Amino acid sequence: MAKLPALIVLLALTAASTPLALAAPQCAVHAGDRLVLYGSGDDPDVLAWDSRFRLREYHAASFDEAEQLLPHASVEPAGTRAVVETCVAAFVQSPLFSQPEDAVGIMVLSGSDRGIGKWVLGSDVRVERAVKNRTSSMR
Amino acid sequence: MRAPTFPLTRVTGTLLLTAFLLLALGFAVEGAFQTRASIAKTFARQSEIQGEQTSLEELLRLQIDEQNSLRGYSLTHDSFYVDQYRTAALEFDNRERAIEQALSSEDLVTAYRLLQQYREDQSKWRDDVAAPVLSHPNARLSEIDKRNKFFSDQQASIAGGVRRELAGENDVLARGTQAELDRSSYVRSFWLLLFGLLAILFNAFRSRLYRELEEERTTTEILQRAFRSEAIPLPNCEVGGAYVSASSHLAVGGDVFDVYRLSGNLALLSIADVSGKGVDAAVLTAFIKFTIRAIALRRRDPAGILSEFNTAFSQAVENPYLFVSMWVGLLDTDTFLLRYASAGHDSAFVRRSNNVHQLPVTGPILGVMEEPFESKQTNLEAGDLLVLSTDGLTEARTRSGRQLQETGAMDLIARGSERAQELADEIVASVRALSRNRLRDDLAILVVRPLPRGGADG
Repeated sequence: MAKLPALIVLLALTAASTPLALAAPQCAVHAGDRLVLYGSGDDPDVLAWDSRFRLREYHAASFDEAEQLLPHASVEPAGTRAVVETCVAAFVQSPLFSQPEDAVGIMVLSGSDRGIGKWVLGSDVRVERAVKNRTSSMR
Repeated sequence: MRAPTFPLTRVTGTLLLTAFLLLALGFAVEGAFQTRASIAKTFARQSEIQGEQTSLEELLRLQIDEQNSLRGYSLTHDSFYVDQYRTAALEFDNRERAIEQALSSEDLVTAYRLLQQYREDQSKWRDDVAAPVLSHPNARLSEIDKRNKFFSDQQASIAGGVRRELAGENDVLARGTQAELDRSSYVRSFWLLLFGLLAILFNAFRSRLYRELEEERTTTEILQRAFRSEAIPLPNCEVGGAYVSASSHLAVGGDVFDVYRLSGNLALLSIADVSGKGVDAAVLTAFIKFTIRAIALRRRDPAGILSEFNTAFSQAVENPYLFVSMWVGLLDTDTFLLRYASAGHDSAFVRRSNNVHQLPVTGPILGVMEEPFESKQTNLEAGDLLVLSTDGLTEARTRSGRQLQETGAMDLIARGSERAQELADEIVASVRALSRNRLRDDLAILVVRPLPRGGADG
């Protein structure tokens, strides 16, 4: 009988910690959010990719490999407007990142690439206006 | 004579404690200086690292300047931008070399390697992007922007790595400084605690010492009052006396003289020198003084007094190395007949007019052997001066180290005053002057001057 309180505490702790341990990464932006592109690095322009896989490869690649991928990217000037079409949470990893970054699929709304779909890093976007009725993002 | 009983253990204890105190204080101070030097060195290193961090930011700015200049030239074809590009490139190279040198000297291997990569990338950008644009400024701007973005991203990553290593080194230094401060605080606290404890100990020791000295001083004062040699007045005679102890703080020592009236016209005169000085010797002189008085009250023969005293002394004093030289005289103050005996005491003089002669020794020193003593007598005349002293007079040393001896003593007596007390004072003053006031032995002087019949003169 003496072990019962300890068991209850153990169960309570397990129950409390399980959602945390199993919690999936969430995207910071959601489909429909209006964005402004702004690079988080020293150069505020943003590299936008034609594929989320190339986006991921670019950040994991060596200098030469990364250079080979450049034809698949365009530079969007800082301030370019876009809308979120989809988002893949924690998709891009790099030894230089402290934690995985989201890959955000956008539709460019201004500039020379207006109307074209691109993929950018989650840290390269600023939410201008969040959508009210959110739909779930891709995983 | 016997060596003084100096409180050596007290001096050693005091010196030892003082040395420990100074040592503890020294370590505490030295530790503080050492810590200060160590922290100053760390701060200097941190300052260098901060300088390198600033230089790195400046390097990134110059890189962007290069890219913007190139972009400007591509847009406007204005040679102003080419000059700006070259200035930025030159400054970049200089700055990069300076940082590389600093990182190399500080042994920051990773940061150094990353910076080399940074330089190589910059060089590649100049070859792959800048050089073609400078040759053909009509290149597509979007392509230049993309390449610029690529290179700046790459270099920002590398710079981030350098930054992290510098920041890490800075953290290590900061932690080291903190550890040094902690260690220093503990060590210094220890030394200060030790210093405090030693100071308390020292104070307790000093208090105890002071208390002991105070007790000793009180004892000495009591002894001084009890055993002081005093020249008491005698009928038809002028009596003078002086006493100087070799122990400057004491008024008693191993010498003693005594003037004592045995009857109406018979006075006992005695002077003795005990081997030794200080309080211990003073206690023995008291024994001598009162024993001689007691014997003299029964016996009127100076040789007999010395003989009986010799027996008493041998029985009373167990120390075989202790001996006494003594002169005892019985003076008839009516006729001035002086009967005396001398136990190895040769400092007895009679001055008549300006002539001084020494009274002979009539027996051995007391406490050494059992040999008979002889009494002698001499008739003093009015105006004569009987001068009795201890060997503090004859063995007084001049500045050249020569002893005064009997001849020197007799010369002093011959040149001195006719008045008993004045002569005693003059002799003491002369001995002090000769030895520069650093007496090696106690000195007792007793002067008796028979006066002309009809009363004292002056």
